[in-house]
Amino acid sequence: MVSLESKPASAAINPIILRIEQGGALLPDTPENVIEVVGILKSYGIVLDAYWRNLTYIANEQFLVLFPFFKYFNGEVNLDKLLKHWWHDRINYEFAEYCMKAMFWHGGGGLDAYLDTPEFEALAKSAIQAKVSGNLLMAPLNRLTPQFLVEQVRQLCYYSALGQFWDVMSDMFLVLSDRYDRGEITSIADVVTHVKNGLVAAAAKPITYHVNIDGKPYPILPESAGLTFLADTALPYVETVFLRSFPFFGTVSYNAQANQISPDQADFTYGALFADPLPIGGAGIPPTLLMQDLRHFIPDYLHQVYQGGIRGEDDLRVKLCISFQKSMFCVTSGAIFGLMPHPLDTTNPSEQAANRSHITDWVKRLEDSRLLQVQSS
Amino acid sequence: MLSVLVWVPLVGALIIACLPDAIAPVRSRQIALVFATGILVWTGVILAQFDPAIPGIQLFESLVWLEPLGLSYQMGVDGLSVPLIAMNGLLVWLVIYSSEADVRRPKLYYSLMLILSAGVVGAFLAQNLLLFFLFYEVELIPLYLLIAIWGGARRAYAAMKFLIYTAISGILILAAFFGIALLSGVGNFDYAQLQEHSLPMATQMILLTTILVGFGIKIPIVPFHTWLPDAHVEAPTQASVLLAGVLLKLGTYGLIRFGLGLFPDAWQVLAPVLAMLAVVNVLYGSFVAIAQTDMKKIVAYSSVGHMGYILLAAAAATPLSLSGTIVQMVSHGLISALLFFLVGVIYEKTGTRDVNVLCGLLAPERGLPLIGSLMVVGVMASAGIPGMMGFIAEFIVYRSSLPIFPVETLLCMLGTALTAVYFLNLINRTFFGRLTDNLAHLPPVSWKDRIPSIVMVALVIVFGLQPGWVLRWSEQTSIALGQLGDRTTTTLVISPLKTPAPLIP
Repeated sequence: MVSLESKPASAAINPIILRIEQGGALLPDTPENVIEVVGILKSYGIVLDAYWRNLTYIANEQFLVLFPFFKYFNGEVNLDKLLKHWWHDRINYEFAEYCMKAMFWHGGGGLDAYLDTPEFEALAKSAIQAKVSGNLLMAPLNRLTPQFLVEQVRQLCYYSALGQFWDVMSDMFLVLSDRYDRGEITSIADVVTHVKNGLVAAAAKPITYHVNIDGKPYPILPESAGLTFLADTALPYVETVFLRSFPFFGTVSYNAQANQISPDQADFTYGALFADPLPIGGAGIPPTLLMQDLRHFIPDYLHQVYQGGIRGEDDLRVKLCISFQKSMFCVTSGAIFGLMPHPLDTTNPSEQAANRSHITDWVKRLEDSRLLQVQSS
Repeated sequence: MLSVLVWVPLVGALIIACLPDAIAPVRSRQIALVFATGILVWTGVILAQFDPAIPGIQLFESLVWLEPLGLSYQMGVDGLSVPLIAMNGLLVWLVIYSSEADVRRPKLYYSLMLILSAGVVGAFLAQNLLLFFLFYEVELIPLYLLIAIWGGARRAYAAMKFLIYTAISGILILAAFFGIALLSGVGNFDYAQLQEHSLPMATQMILLTTILVGFGIKIPIVPFHTWLPDAHVEAPTQASVLLAGVLLKLGTYGLIRFGLGLFPDAWQVLAPVLAMLAVVNVLYGSFVAIAQTDMKKIVAYSSVGHMGYILLAAAAATPLSLSGTIVQMVSHGLISALLFFLVGVIYEKTGTRDVNVLCGLLAPERGLPLIGSLMVVGVMASAGIPGMMGFIAEFIVYRSSLPIFPVETLLCMLGTALTAVYFLNLINRTFFGRLTDNLAHLPPVSWKDRIPSIVMVALVIVFGLQPGWVLRWSEQTSIALGQLGDRTTTTLVISPLKTPAPLIP
């Protein structure tokens, strides 16, 4: 039975709060965790690279294509790729779309706000007009339901924004792996610092989106909208995918009529950090798809660790899910540090109290996630 | 030819017993497997030689042994015994294949397995009552030792209980055999000669009742069943498989061969009682199974219930119902053996058989998904889902028994519904839901654990879709046995259903 009643903070989270105050992370610093986190992030970086390219392709090249049968082909449609697709020898781009749709649904940040402005609607309609003119199917459709294609453009904005976010994150994780290979990353704190620095470095990167229709560019998210990487994509992404996500995937049944699902989306706890690796896909966006993709790119050192487990290759996706959650706790730690109201080494008591409050709020929110489980596994 | 099935495993047992200790742990299983393969192949040869069109005994072998005692070495096979020796050959191979090479005391273990096989096959093939009794007793010893040495915590109690019950069973059967041999004036234990006796009905009733109680213990018929759940629970998986798969069939086989075969007149008089006992077996076994929490006990009580179907069809004693008994014997042998195999794997991997503890074993990666899937198929077959052998067997039993014992048959049908109740309860509690954290680190399941169950599931489905492949072996024998009943219809209380022959167009 799923309960919505909030529980008092347990004593179990106190050591975690203390560890973060001392510069540690949500995940304990052990050699095994370092191998798992860096190894999985290397694989994740490769997968994200494929995801962001496809999201960007869909946003740019499949703009208002109502039946995008070949949207996962990145413009390269041939028999070989078609057979591989049907044989499922491919990247699960659906996972990227689930994440995009989750962000679209939960909203938050400047992107969500901008998509409701008259400025955006005017830009969108301009592009729509260019796209549908002379189209015997879409022109009447647009006239019949004038908001339908605008809503499609809003969704395409999220395709593009998530693509741009993952472009940065993919490089960040691959660089992390390279640094680990060079011996520069030796602890979980190093991982968190790398992520934090990467987020901070890209924080002000503008998020823009334009499409070319008949050779003419049409801006949808202009630079003048002031949308940036950290505030308008990274934080909504963490909020949506790590914490909230959807309640209706996976094998756990929820009964909304029995109030097992909060009417307030802000209370959702079905994100990646809450997902149950047993069975895979127990909550939120089905991690199974991601794990299937990750398993193709596991570095040898991590593969050896997995093969040493009692089930060897049999439960690879479960192990991947657990490692992935560990790595996402590191990314969340990076976000916590990045959003810290005051420097961590401040000696000012009031600033220390503010920092503690900030950390405590985050950790309490994660108390029902897999946070406590990853402390010992 | 038939003797090969008896003597080859005994030779194998002797060779294994004589192995030097240094190589025994490695070689015992391999040698046992070679002999088991030989038995299986030779069973195939016998099947190829067997003519299903002949209703009587075939491939007959006879050798004078102790003539003053009336004991001859007479072996033969007919449509009643041929499916059972085939099933024995298969199950013996599978249990040896699934046994660990590093089992404790391997020489004794594998020797006992082969001796058990020899005893069971000998009993199925014996055409002399005393010879049957000897083989019937021979199989008792290895099974007793298998339970007593490789069994669970209460193995001593279970083994002793099994020994006492089965010994009493043997005494009663021996008494009945002596009774017919002496009272009929035949003076020996030749089955064919004893069939021609002309004993008065009262004597037949006494002897048949003795045989009924004797084999009733082995089947087991309630209230003589209490040894079975204990034996199953404490026995190692392989012994449970053989116990459910072929050893219980010795009881039903004996009842038909020596009860119906020797006393068809008395059989017709006792048939209503048998049918009522069948109902008691089915309902009692099913209701008790519902109350169990140990998976092995659930399957064991399920066995008690399903043996009731055999009893019901045997009581009806028509050609079709006797076909039903044989198909149900094969069906129950395969399905219960399958379920015991699977429960054994679950117990080996999780350390428990308690349905209150187990949960979520169908979990795709860290659970036992294939074992769980096979279990679902197994319980579906046991519950008589169409397309599987359990359905065919139960359908023939019900179809043939309904005109003779309508009330009893309807009550037995309730047992089929109850089978679904206790097995679905087992499946729901054990395999569905979230895999609990204490079960999230189960060891992997090897192909050695999977293959026996896969083979049996395949057979259950194939024979479910093509029941003629089982029925054809016993069709003529069933008709002949059914005609034994016809012979006596003028003096019977109940007229058996006349089913047009052949059974299969």
